[in-house]
Amino acid sequence: MKCKKLTALLLTAAMTASVLAGCGGDSAGDAGTSNTDGGSNEEAASGEDGNKDIIDFSMFIAMPGPEINDGNEIQEIIAQKTGVRVKETWLTGQTAAEAVGTIIAGGEYPDFIDGGDGQMALYDAGALVAWDDYLEKHPKLKEMYSDEEWDRFRQEDGKIYWANIFQNTYGESKATTHNDEAFWIQARVLAWDNYPEIKTLDQYFDLLERYAAANPTMEDGSEVIPYTILCEDWRYFCIENAGQFLAGYPNDGSVIVNTETMKIEDYNTSETTHRYFQKLNEEYQKGIVDHEFATQTYDEYIAKLSTGRVLGMCDQWWDFYGTVNDVFKQQGLDLEGCNYVPLGLTIDEGMENMWHTYGDTQNLANGVAVTTSCKDVDAAFQFLEDCLDQEIHDLRFWGVKDVDYQVDEDGLYYRTEEQRMQWANKEYQASHRCVYSYMPQYRGTSRDGKNAMNPEEQTSEFFSSLAQPLVDCFNAYGVTTYVEMIGSVEKETGPWFPMYSFSNNMTTETPGGVAWTKMGEVKHEWLPKVVMSDSFDSTWSDYMTAYEGCAPEDFLAEMQTELDRRASLAQ
Amino acid sequence: MSRGKKKAKQKITWKEIKRQKVLLIWSAFFVIYGFIFYYLPLGGWIMAFQNYKPKDGMLHSKWIGLDKFKFLFSDASFIRVIRNTLAMGTINLVTSFLMAIIFAILLNEVKNVVGKKMVQTISYLPHFLSWIIVTGILHDALSSTGIVNEVLQKLGIVSSQINFFAHESYFWPIVAFSNLWKETGWNAIIYLAAITAIDPSLYEAASIDGAARWAKIRYITLPGIKPTIMILLLMNVGNVLNAGFEVQYILGNGLVQKVSQTIDIYVLNWGISQNDYSLGTAAGIFKSAVSIFLILLANRMAKRSGEESLF
Amino acid sequence: MKKKSLSDQIFVICNTIFMVAFVVITLYPVLNTLAISFNDGIDTVRGGIHLFPRKFTLQNYYTVLHKQNMVTGAYITVLRTVIGTLLALVANALLAFIVSRKRFLFKSQLSLFWVITMYVNGGLIPVFLLYKNLHLTGTFWVYVVPGAVSAFNMLVLRTYMVGLPDSLEESAQLDGAGYMTIFVKIISPLCKPVYATVALFVAVGQWNSWFDAMLYNRMSDKYTTLQYELMKLLSSVMQQSGSADSMRNSGNSITPASIRAAATIATMLPIVCLYPFLQRYFVTGLTIGGVKE
Repeated sequence: MKCKKLTALLLTAAMTASVLAGCGGDSAGDAGTSNTDGGSNEEAASGEDGNKDIIDFSMFIAMPGPEINDGNEIQEIIAQKTGVRVKETWLTGQTAAEAVGTIIAGGEYPDFIDGGDGQMALYDAGALVAWDDYLEKHPKLKEMYSDEEWDRFRQEDGKIYWANIFQNTYGESKATTHNDEAFWIQARVLAWDNYPEIKTLDQYFDLLERYAAANPTMEDGSEVIPYTILCEDWRYFCIENAGQFLAGYPNDGSVIVNTETMKIEDYNTSETTHRYFQKLNEEYQKGIVDHEFATQTYDEYIAKLSTGRVLGMCDQWWDFYGTVNDVFKQQGLDLEGCNYVPLGLTIDEGMENMWHTYGDTQNLANGVAVTTSCKDVDAAFQFLEDCLDQEIHDLRFWGVKDVDYQVDEDGLYYRTEEQRMQWANKEYQASHRCVYSYMPQYRGTSRDGKNAMNPEEQTSEFFSSLAQPLVDCFNAYGVTTYVEMIGSVEKETGPWFPMYSFSNNMTTETPGGVAWTKMGEVKHEWLPKVVMSDSFDSTWSDYMTAYEGCAPEDFLAEMQTELDRRASLAQ
Repeated sequence: MSRGKKKAKQKITWKEIKRQKVLLIWSAFFVIYGFIFYYLPLGGWIMAFQNYKPKDGMLHSKWIGLDKFKFLFSDASFIRVIRNTLAMGTINLVTSFLMAIIFAILLNEVKNVVGKKMVQTISYLPHFLSWIIVTGILHDALSSTGIVNEVLQKLGIVSSQINFFAHESYFWPIVAFSNLWKETGWNAIIYLAAITAIDPSLYEAASIDGAARWAKIRYITLPGIKPTIMILLLMNVGNVLNAGFEVQYILGNGLVQKVSQTIDIYVLNWGISQNDYSLGTAAGIFKSAVSIFLILLANRMAKRSGEESLF
Repeated sequence: MKKKSLSDQIFVICNTIFMVAFVVITLYPVLNTLAISFNDGIDTVRGGIHLFPRKFTLQNYYTVLHKQNMVTGAYITVLRTVIGTLLALVANALLAFIVSRKRFLFKSQLSLFWVITMYVNGGLIPVFLLYKNLHLTGTFWVYVVPGAVSAFNMLVLRTYMVGLPDSLEESAQLDGAGYMTIFVKIISPLCKPVYATVALFVAVGQWNSWFDAMLYNRMSDKYTTLQYELMKLLSSVMQQSGSADSMRNSGNSITPASIRAAATIATMLPIVCLYPFLQRYFVTGLTIGGVKE
């Protein structure tokens, strides 16, 4: 058939479609069976008869993500402009490490890969191409990071193999949302008390108590839930790590770094954390904390928040806002002030809070990489470079001018309501949008100096989405964004930040890794128990006994070593 | 290997081999097939004795002997998950077994053909729902405002709402129930097929003798499907360590984790999420060993008592 | 009617009550899923959907059915279900036939050989390497060849075959029939109910499986399956529910729960329709009594 002929042709040209098996190159010695079928990827063969120049690359991303249709409109535009089309394949139903493990075992790689948790295994397997020579040839790519930052990506052999593409701000930051953790409270609760200053945990719960006493039910008669805590599975950070923030430290995750002594501190056993749980216990006894908190699933939690009955909780913004805000909008609850605003609480008054991370968190653990199976390494790096070209970047994140966004007389981009709806439509996304979300990209300000790199951060777009009660609330506090609302102190984080990037990758091979897993298990069990206990003190001491039994000192010692290493590297 | 009393020891003679030529050729084919697809991958078991790294592959990873096994058995929580797995495996085995048989027999007694077909079709539909759907509904029903609490309170059985998922003692029954809910109809299919093999004339004869329903079930239906029951029972005995993963994972929470964690969850927590293939493999070998031991034991017992046996 | 004894009547009543209760309890999750599949996704998040949708929509089905590669997926899935079932049925039946012959010399050993396969597993990577070396990865055959024989199905078939009267085989042999003739002409026709059972098991397994498609044909759409496409859709929806896009958007009401429900119902229907065709083998008993005498 015609298809087969074309396949053969493409194969000889070593420019075949993007298939794991079809990436020839290094694995040339391997049997041809899989190559043959790899090449016969239909959509590669059809579609672009007139365009022999376009290279089809494959990419595997070890994260779940949305597929786009073949022949996606923006993908085609980008292909015309850059000569490259990338077919993305996402993680489904496996862990990243498992998926990468099988890919390595097979010995054939896609052209691009982001291995997620399995990135290191790819490097170990010698599957990645070093960036060093190519960086010099591609100024835009090199511009992504400073020399010092690039150096952090260097592996043991002194070379760079990948770059993380997230959390990278170009020019001035345009961040409007507080994407991190906070104690959240409904805007209506603050409005009810005439927008008081809430600085401490005690003030926070005091307000919740008073509001709940005065307004025990919703309009439909259902009872309000003053405070709930999610502790399902890995999402138990909602109960677990507030201690570090309340003590005024940033989100190092697993530990506190004392910047004065440069020592690792354990927040699990700190006085602040003790007081935090004591408070939760007290509020639980008073009936302020949701009695079902310990057994609710994530879905139930989201459903509960969506009813508008929950006045406050501690959570990360990305963990709840999507669905919850949609429901609020659909039900008109946003107009009643049910939307959540973040509060930068500390344990005592007069402390600085560091809930918000201002700078970019440079995640070194994984990122986009070019593999040794890549059929055209030069073209691959050229494409990484092209991704950062402003025109391509705008196409990826804003879309097509006059179709997806308008430009006003000042050169500012904006979307009409219609365009906004269309952009968010699933069908449209699949057939029209092509974000290449794991390719190099920026946040912050566009090269034109006016617009945001990413529409989410465009001020006009942000305000158009705010419900009136939120606007009132922000006005009352004299702030314009969520970031200003939480009012974290703008302090540079150390070069070791965040420490969780180390603890997340610990394995059972070291005593510290074993301790880390055990500590997690103990906390999953005991933290809810502590909150629900009838006699807080004795339960707390039982918890501490169980906790000490995990040998946390092993874990802390390894964290200290890593901190020292990271700190010395920076000098 | 002990053999049943009835079966005379078959002598391997040339004559017999020639007679069974066709059977032998085909069995050779099945042995080769089974060896390739089931036994060859067991070479992967050497990973349990290595510190397996994908980059080195199985040929070059470092040998660590029995370290992974030592790690497992020196960990108190591993002993606990074995207990949980065995307990839930046994409860599930017994309940789902009984329920499927009872359901199949009772369904067979429904004389209305349309009703019978309808019930049967409906009964196996939940098999197609994923665990996440089934457990979601169950979680909803057992929540403090759910239907179960509502009914219990209305009937005055309990005075205040019960948080079913916060108590360790409720966990195993809940898991058993969710298994029954999802799989009873499906599991009954085999028994329904087995019942069809029973000679209808036996029932007719019994009717003429004036036997009651119960008597027919007891003396005709049950003995008729006994071989099937025995075979499935034997097979499932080897599966008690496969008490599952999804149900416990979704329904469990910190408060009940002492009774909810199974071997599979343990392996997930310690092995897979930390890229420790070797530990997962070691746990797998342990499970296989226990299963095969149980199977051999159960099979021997079945043979001794002259029952149907697996081999 | 008079012949019916009191205890029989009580039995019938109790049994009817039991069946009704059973149906109600069993049907509930299915109806609930059905209701959610027709309900607006965002609205479903609020909870409280039981038997009927609150905010009716066809959006969920639209999204599921318009997923790219759905046609390829459906085609491959039907193909693997048909071929896989036929292959598995023939292979398992033949193996069961062999080990159910009373005179077969190695029936115990061969059974044990297969029973063990139920409880051992080499693990993901060794199996992957094996299939790769056999050149099965990246082909359609990886779906139907490796799992063709399964000890479970074989044992179910064997049990049934053992229960058939020996006289059948003996009389056929007296007529000069070989083993293959006995298998095809004598045993198989009597095994219809159990063949139907095993066919159902295999077909449902083939229809629902997606992990193999993901593992062995990951980067190619050519051999994608229905369930794999749905899994991809589902995992992407789950990912997206936390993305910024959904915030500003009121038109998009896709959530994992609603997509899952629609996908479940949509894939359940075709395979459930298969059942009535097989069911007649279960409902009516076979008359083999004549031979038994």
